[in-house]
Amino acid sequence: MTAIPRIALLGNPNTGKSTLYNRLCGLRTKTANFPGSTVEHHVGRCQVPGGGEFDIVDLPGVYSLMLEIPESRLCRDCLEGRLGDRRPDAALLVLDANNLPRNLQFAASALKRGLPTVVAINMVDVARRRGLVIDEDDAERELGVKVVAVSARTGEGLDALREALLKVAKPGATAPSPRQPYPTSEIGSPASTRWSADAFSAIAAHPRGKVPDSLSLHDRLDTAFTHPVAGILCFAVAMSLIFATIYWLAQFPMDAVDSVFGVLSHAIEGVIPAGTLQDLLINGVVGGVAATVVFLPQIVLLFLLLALLEDSGYLARAAFAVDRVMRRAGLPGQAFMPLLSAHACALPAIMSTRLIPNPRDRLATILVSPFMSCSARVPVYVLLTGLLFAGRPLAAGIAFTACYVLGAIAALGTSKLLRASLLRGASSPMVLELPEYRVPSLRTAVAVAIDRAFVFLRNAGSVILAIAIVMWWLSAYPKAPPDVRSAALLTQAAEIRASDQDAAETLVAEANRLDQRRQQSESFAGQVGTALEPVFAPIGLDRQLTVAVLTSFLAREVFTTTVFVLVGAGSDANSEDSGTLQSVRNATRDDSTPLFTVPTAASLLVFFVLAMQCLPTLVVVARETGSWRWPLLQFAYMSLLAYGCAFLTYRVLA
Amino acid sequence: MIRVMSDGIPVRIPLSRLARGQKAMIECSALAGLPNDHRCLLEAMGMGESCQVRVCRPGSPCIVQIDQTRLGLSKSVADMIMVTPIKAD
Repeated sequence: MTAIPRIALLGNPNTGKSTLYNRLCGLRTKTANFPGSTVEHHVGRCQVPGGGEFDIVDLPGVYSLMLEIPESRLCRDCLEGRLGDRRPDAALLVLDANNLPRNLQFAASALKRGLPTVVAINMVDVARRRGLVIDEDDAERELGVKVVAVSARTGEGLDALREALLKVAKPGATAPSPRQPYPTSEIGSPASTRWSADAFSAIAAHPRGKVPDSLSLHDRLDTAFTHPVAGILCFAVAMSLIFATIYWLAQFPMDAVDSVFGVLSHAIEGVIPAGTLQDLLINGVVGGVAATVVFLPQIVLLFLLLALLEDSGYLARAAFAVDRVMRRAGLPGQAFMPLLSAHACALPAIMSTRLIPNPRDRLATILVSPFMSCSARVPVYVLLTGLLFAGRPLAAGIAFTACYVLGAIAALGTSKLLRASLLRGASSPMVLELPEYRVPSLRTAVAVAIDRAFVFLRNAGSVILAIAIVMWWLSAYPKAPPDVRSAALLTQAAEIRASDQDAAETLVAEANRLDQRRQQSESFAGQVGTALEPVFAPIGLDRQLTVAVLTSFLAREVFTTTVFVLVGAGSDANSEDSGTLQSVRNATRDDSTPLFTVPTAASLLVFFVLAMQCLPTLVVVARETGSWRWPLLQFAYMSLLAYGCAFLTYRVLA
Repeated sequence: MIRVMSDGIPVRIPLSRLARGQKAMIECSALAGLPNDHRCLLEAMGMGESCQVRVCRPGSPCIVQIDQTRLGLSKSVADMIMVTPIKAD
C-alpha cells in the first residue's frame, strides 16, 4: 500500500494560513506530536472531489526559515525530514496578496530548498478591491512553480488549488525553476529585496504601493487600543464581556453534560449490581471524569471567543497594552496569549509557552500560569462567594472578580521575584506584527475550539481518570461500619414508613448522611484529614474541610463535590438551588459550631485563588521543563503563599 | 527629501524620536545596534535595507508601517533602530 502524500503548509504569520488549512481539511484534522518529540502540530486530510487525497501538515507561521526561534527550527526540521518518519512530498506556500513584496522574499527562501511546491496567493478578493490585479501566469514564470490565486474566506480558487496539490504531491513532480535565480542571501538583504521587487512588478498590475501620508482610522484605533490607560480599559471591558458571555452561555451545555453523566450513572446502576464495582464505576470513573468534563463548555467557549478576538486583529494590540505591566514584572509580551488562555485551563496555556523563544522567559511564564483563575476554580468561587455574600449578588460578583485580580497580581509579583532571583535578567522586548482589522472567521474559531476540546478530553480520559480512581479508593477504603445512630434512624424509618412516607425518607437520608460522614472520616483520606487537621486549623478549617482541601490538591473542582457530600446535600457541585446552598450554610462541625463562618469562607477563597491544586498541571510542567525540580518548587511556593495569605485573611477577619 | 547635516551626511536618529506621521529610511546598518535575533526578525518582517517606514504611533509601543505591514515595537527596540528621516516636501 502506498503512503498518502504529505504536504507541508508554510507561510508568514497573518497570511490566512489557518483559514486555508481549515477550508482544505475541514474537521478531518488532529493534533499530534512528531514522533520522538514533544512538538505539537496539526495534520489534516484533504479529499479532492474528483478522487485522490493527501495529508497537510500545518506548520507554524514564520517570517523566515533561518531564524533561531522554535517555530523556524520546527519548519526547517520538518522540511528536511528530521521530524516524523519522512520528508514531506511537497509544500504549499501561502502568500498574502496584499503584502506581496515581503511575502515574495519568504517564497524565494522556501522555494530554493527544491521541494515541489504550489504557491497559493491568498486574499485576492481583498487585493482586487484595492485595485491590485495579480497575473497567475506571470507569477508562475517568476516563481517557477504552479501558482493559484485563492480566497480562503470565500472559497475562491480552492478547487484549482486541490487539483494542483494532488499533482505536485505525486512522485516525479519537478523542482521549482524560476525566471531569475532565487537570491542566495537571506531575507532582508539587498539582493533578496531586489529579487522580490522585480518579481512583484512582473506579477502585479500596479507598482508597489506608497505608504499613505495621512493618519487613517487604522492609526487612530491602534493608538487607542495600545494606550497605557485607554488600552488597558478596553482590554478589561473586552475580557469582562467574554467572561460574562462564557458564564451565561456555558450554563446550558454544562447542565446537559451533567445530565448525560447522570443518565450514565443510572444506566450503570441498572446493569451492574450494587457493590464495589458499581461504586468504583459510578463514584470513581463517571463521577471523577464528570467533575472535570463539566467544564468543557467553558473551555470551548473561551477558546472560541479568544480565537474570534485574535482573528479580528485586536489581540495583537491588547498584547501591547498590557506589555508595559507585564514587562515591569519580568514577563515577555509572548506570555500574553498563554496567560490569557490559562483562564480556561493551565494545561493548554503551559503547552503554548513553547513558542516563547527565550528559555528564562518561557520558564517564568510556565511557573506563574497556574495563578490565573482557571475554570476549575469557578465552582469553588461560586460556592464560597455565595456563602460570604448571601442575598447580595453585586457584592458576590465583586468578590468573584477580585479573585481573578488577586490571581493576576500574584502571577505578576511572583514573576518579579523570579526575575530577581532564580531567573535573573530582564524579559525580551516585544516585536510583533499588527495584522489588519477584519471580520473574524467563525469557521476558523470553531476549528480552534474543537481542537482544544479534544486536547482537554484526552487529558480527562487519561491523567484525570487515574486521579479519580485513586481518590475513590482513598475515600472508599477501609470500609467503615455503619454509624450507630444511622441504624437507629433506619429502624425508626421502617416503623413510620406506613404512616408517614416523607418523614421516613428524611430519616433514611439522614442515616445515609451519617454513614457517609463516618466513611469520610474513617477512610484513608479521612484519616489523613484528621492527622493534618492541626496544620489547617490556623486558617479556620476543621477535619471535614481539611479532607475537602486535601482531596482538592489533586484537582480543585473536587472540593465542592466533597463539601456537598460531607454536608449531605448531594454531589451536585454546580447546583444553585437555594436549598442545596442553604444546607451548606447550615452545616456544622463536630462541635456543632457553623462549618462556614465568614473568616473561614474568606480564607478558603484566598487559599483556592493562590494554591497549586492540580496534579495534571504539575505533570505537564515536569514534562515541559524536563525535570520535577520546577513543578515541586512551584507546588511548594504556591502552597506556602496560599497558606500564608489565607492565614492572614483568617486572622484579620476572625 | 532626506535630511542632511551641513557636511552633506544624512542625519540618523533613533526611530523612537520620530513624530507621528513622520517618514524615514532604513539605511545600511540601521539595525546594527540590535541583538542579532531581533535584527534578523525585523529584517524578515520587512524592515530591510532601503525600505521606508512611517510612524503611526510614537512612544511605547512604537507602531510603524512598512509597505502594507504594521509593526509594533517596544520602545527599547525602537531606541536602537537608527533611521534617516525624510523631510516632508
